Amino acid sequence: MIGLKGIFKWVNTGGNRVFLLKDVDLSVKEGEFVSIMGPSGSGKSTLLNVIGMLDDFNEGEYNFLHEPVHTLKEKHRSALYKQYIGFVFQAYHLIDELTVYENIETPLLYQDIKGSERKALVADILDRFNIVGKKDLFPTQLSGGQQQLVGIARALIAKPKLLLADEPTGNLNSRQGEEIMELFARLNKEGVTIIQVTHSEKNASYGSRVINLLDGKIDN
Amino acid sequence: MISNYFKIAWRNLLRSKSFSFINISGLAIGMASAMLILLWIHHEMSYDGFHEKKDRLYQAWNRYSIDGGIQSWKSTPKPMAAAIRQDYPEVEHTGRVTNIPPVKIDLGGKSFYGRGKIVDSTFLDMFTFPVLKGNSTSPLHDVSSIVLTEKLAQTIFGNTDPVGQILKLDNTDNFKVSAVVKDPPANSRFEFQFLLPWSYMRKTGGDDQVWQDNSVETYVLLKENASLSALEPKLKTLRQKYDKSDPNMEAFLYPISRWHLYGSFESGRESGGRIEIVRLFGVIAGFVLLVACINFMNLSTARSEKRAREVGIRKVAGAHRRSLVVQFLGESVWIAFIAGCFALVLVQLVLPSFNELVGKKLVMDRRDPLLWLIFAGFILFTGLLAGSYPSVYLSSFKPVHALKGGIKAFKTLIAPRQILVVGQFTFAIVLIIATVVVRQQIRKAQDRQTGFGKENLVYHFTEGESAKNYKQIKQELLSSGTALSVTMTSSPVTEDWSNTWEIGWKGKSPDDRTVVSRFFADDAVIKTLGLQLITGRDFDLDNFPADSNAALLNESAVKHMGLKEPVGQVIKDMGQEWHVIGVFKDFIINSPYHPSSPLYIGGANGFFNVMHIKLNGARPTRDNVAALETIFKKYNPAYEVNYRFADAQYARKFEDEKRTGTLATLFALLTIVISCLGLFGLSSYMAENRIKEIGVRKVLGASVPSIIALLSKDFFKLVGFAFVIASPIAWGLMYSWLENFPYRVSLQWWVFAFAGLAALLIALFTVGFQAVKAATTNPVKSLRTE
Repeated sequence: MIGLKGIFKWVNTGGNRVFLLKDVDLSVKEGEFVSIMGPSGSGKSTLLNVIGMLDDFNEGEYNFLHEPVHTLKEKHRSALYKQYIGFVFQAYHLIDELTVYENIETPLLYQDIKGSERKALVADILDRFNIVGKKDLFPTQLSGGQQQLVGIARALIAKPKLLLADEPTGNLNSRQGEEIMELFARLNKEGVTIIQVTHSEKNASYGSRVINLLDGKIDN
Repeated sequence: MISNYFKIAWRNLLRSKSFSFINISGLAIGMASAMLILLWIHHEMSYDGFHEKKDRLYQAWNRYSIDGGIQSWKSTPKPMAAAIRQDYPEVEHTGRVTNIPPVKIDLGGKSFYGRGKIVDSTFLDMFTFPVLKGNSTSPLHDVSSIVLTEKLAQTIFGNTDPVGQILKLDNTDNFKVSAVVKDPPANSRFEFQFLLPWSYMRKTGGDDQVWQDNSVETYVLLKENASLSALEPKLKTLRQKYDKSDPNMEAFLYPISRWHLYGSFESGRESGGRIEIVRLFGVIAGFVLLVACINFMNLSTARSEKRAREVGIRKVAGAHRRSLVVQFLGESVWIAFIAGCFALVLVQLVLPSFNELVGKKLVMDRRDPLLWLIFAGFILFTGLLAGSYPSVYLSSFKPVHALKGGIKAFKTLIAPRQILVVGQFTFAIVLIIATVVVRQQIRKAQDRQTGFGKENLVYHFTEGESAKNYKQIKQELLSSGTALSVTMTSSPVTEDWSNTWEIGWKGKSPDDRTVVSRFFADDAVIKTLGLQLITGRDFDLDNFPADSNAALLNESAVKHMGLKEPVGQVIKDMGQEWHVIGVFKDFIINSPYHPSSPLYIGGANGFFNVMHIKLNGARPTRDNVAALETIFKKYNPAYEVNYRFADAQYARKFEDEKRTGTLATLFALLTIVISCLGLFGLSSYMAENRIKEIGVRKVLGASVPSIIALLSKDFFKLVGFAFVIASPIAWGLMYSWLENFPYRVSLQWWVFAFAGLAALLIALFTVGFQAVKAATTNPVKSLRTE
C-alpha cells in the first residue's frame, strides 16, 4: 500500500542544511497496524505528515496504492488523500464553532455527498461510537477522551483505507488512552490500515510492527 | 455546505462581539457615506433626463473668436430662434426662454408672488412638463394666457378649478389661466411657477429683432432622424448671414445631457463645470468605502491565527483552496449584508441633515427596484472587496503549519497589514489637510476688504410704484432719521448685472476687448455704499446738476485705461459721454475669490432697478427696519416690502465653498472614525496577542510606560510613514483646487505639520487605551493562562 524509497527532507537554516528525514525506506501493507516511535525531534511527525501528503519531501520516491505521489500535482494528491486517508491529532483539532454532528459531517461536505446520505453516514458513526447523545454539543463541552472520539469518528466518516494518528492519546489520561487504543485495534481488525506516532511502548504493543526513528533515520 | 458556512459565520460573529461590532459599524458607516454620496451623484447625473425628447434637444450657443482666443456664451439674440427654424430643415421646433423678476399676482384682493418665464408657444411641445388641467394643445397661444404649476395653482386657488380664472400680474395686465402643468422636478434646469406666452413680450414691445443684443435663451429640437453633424457646419455661417457687423461670430448647438454637469467653456472647449465636483465626490465615496473595507481586511486577518486552525482542519478534511475562498468570501458578504442593513437605516436617519447640508431634496424611493438592485450590488461589491484579501490569505495556510499553531499572525502578517494601515492614515491625513486648507481659503476670502460698507446697508428692488415715489420715500427715510443716505442704483452692490467691451476712452487700442462692468447710481453713491474715494468727489446732484452724466472709476479701471489724470477724462458708453469726476478703491461686486476688474459708475442718466439705503447705525436696527417697512408700504401699498441686507447677500457668495468645507470636514471625521475603529481593533488584538510577552517583561522589571511605548511605537511608525506619503498628495490636490481661485491662500508648512500631529495624537489615543490596559494587567494573571 505504501512504499517509501530514499526519502530525504531538509530545511536550510543559516547556510546549514538540517535533515529532518534521512534516506527513509519504508513499506506498509494493507491491514497493518504500524507504530512509529522515537525521541522528540527524531522526525516521527514529519514522517507521518509526508505519508499523509500534508508535507512535501525533497528527494526520494513515494508510491501510494500504486500512484507515484512524488510526481503528482497538488490537486491530484489532495484528491487521493481525501479519498483514502483519515487523520487523528493529539490536540483533536475540532472546530470550536461547530457541534459534534457538524464536525463529523465536515469531510463529507468536501466530497460532494448528498444531504440524505450524509445524514445516514453521520448517524451510523455516532451510533457506532456511542456518542449519539452528544451530537448537538460543542467540543468545549466535552472531555478530552470524548473529543478524541469525535476526532476519530470524523477521520473515519469518509471510510478511509488508511488512518494516520499523531500521538492520539498524548493529551488523555491512561484510562481514556486505553479506550482509544482498543478502538484502534478493533478498527484494524475490521480492515483499516493504521499508522500511529507514539511515545508509549504500551500503545505500540497494540500494533503489529514498530518502526524506530532516530535523527530522521530508521533505526532497526 | 452553505448552511455549514452560514453557521460558522454566525457563530463567529456572536463569539467575538466587540470585534463584530467594530467590523460591522465601520463597514456600515463607510457604506452609508458612500450611499449618501451616490444618491447625490445620481441626482446630479439625472438632471434634465426626464424630457421625453431629450435626445433631440439642444441649446443654441454663440462662439466668438478673436486673436486666437475663443469666447463662448449662451445668451442669444431674439431673432435667432426664427432664423434657425426657417433656414434648416433638420429643425422641428425652436423656442426662446427669458426669465422675469419675481412678480406680484393678484386674485380678487389677495396678493401672491411668483417666479416665472416668458416662453415661446413651442416650449411645452419641446420640454416635458405635462399639462394636468386645461388646454393641453396650445396653452401658450393667446397673448393673455398664463400657465401655472400645480403648486402655484394650489397656493392661489386652493381646491377650486383654476382653469379660466383671471389673474392680474404686476398691477398691470390680466391673464387667463389656460392650463396647469406638473411642477418642474428638482432635477430640472428650468425652475418656474408660471409661464407667459411670447406674444405678451411682443405686446409690451420687448420683442426686438436686433441681432447685436444677446439677451434670451434659444432652444432647438431636431427632427427625429436629423443629423447634428450635418447641421453643425451650416450653423457656423448663420450669424454672418443675418449680422454683418461681426463676421467672427458663430452659433453652435449644445446637447441637453451636458447642460447641468458641464456647461462652461474655455477657449471654445468644454471646461469642466459641476462634473468636477461630482467626480471629486465620487472619488471620496470610493475612498471612504475603501477605508472601511481595509478595516475589515485588517481586522479579519488579525484574527487569522484563530481561524488558521479551522483552515488546517478543513484542508485535512479534504477542502480545496477554492471552497475555502468561497467560504470566507461568503462570510464577508454576509457581514457586508448586515452592515448594509445598518447603513440603510443610517442613511434614512441622516438624509434630512445631509439634504440640508448639500441644499437638495434627495430621497430614497423604496419602491424603486433599481435601488434594491444597486443595494445588492453594493453589498456584493463591498463584501467581495473586503473579503478578498482575508479569504485569499487565510486559505493559503498550509495545513501542517496551521495545525501546529505555526502561524504567528502578527509577525508574518506585518507587511501587508502595515500597508493597509498606512493607506488608511494616508487618506485621513490628506482629508485633514484638505479640510484645513479649504477653511483657510474661505477665511481668507471672507477677511478680504470688501471695499464697501456692508454694515447697515439694505437694498430694495423698485417694484410697482416705488420707482415713481422714489423722491418721497427717500425724503421720508432721511427726515425720519431711519437712513443716513439713500441712492438708486442699477443693480445690488453685490451683483454685477451689466458690462461691455464697447466702452471708449482716450487712447483705447482698437483691439482691446476687455470687459468693463457698468454700474449706475443717481447720487451720493460713495456715501451710501461706503466706498473709499481716492481722488475727486462723490456724485452731488444738488450742487452739480451736471453729475447726471458724470462717472466714477475704480482703481482697476484707471489702471486698465492707463489714465494718468483720470479726473476730467471722458469715457463713452451707451451712446453718451460720461465725465470722470473721481476714483474709488475697488470693491467686490463679483466673486470674492477673483481680483477686482475694471468698473465705472455712471450718473443719473443710466438705468435703475434698486434702491440702496444706508440705515442709521445710531438707532436700533429693529426700529430702522420697522420704519422702513411703514414708509415703503405707504408709497407702494400693493407690494410686499422685501428688503435685503447687503452683508447677508455678500455672505451668500461663500455658500458653495462653505459647503465644500463642511463636506470635507464631515468626510475627514468619518474617515478618522473608521480608521480609529480599525486601529482600536488591531491594537486590542495585538495587546491580547502579546499578553504573555508583556507578562514576562513585567516580571523581569519593565515599567508600565516602557510597555506602553513598546506596544505603541509600531503604530507611530506607520502614521509617520502615512504622513510622508500623504503630504505630497495633499499638496498636489490642494494646489490644483486653489488654482480655481485667483485670490487664494498659499499652502503653509504648518498645516501639514498640524495634520501629521493630529493623526499621531488620534493614533496615540486609540492605541494608548489598549496599551495602558495591557500594561497594567497583573502579570500573574496573564502568565497563568499559558
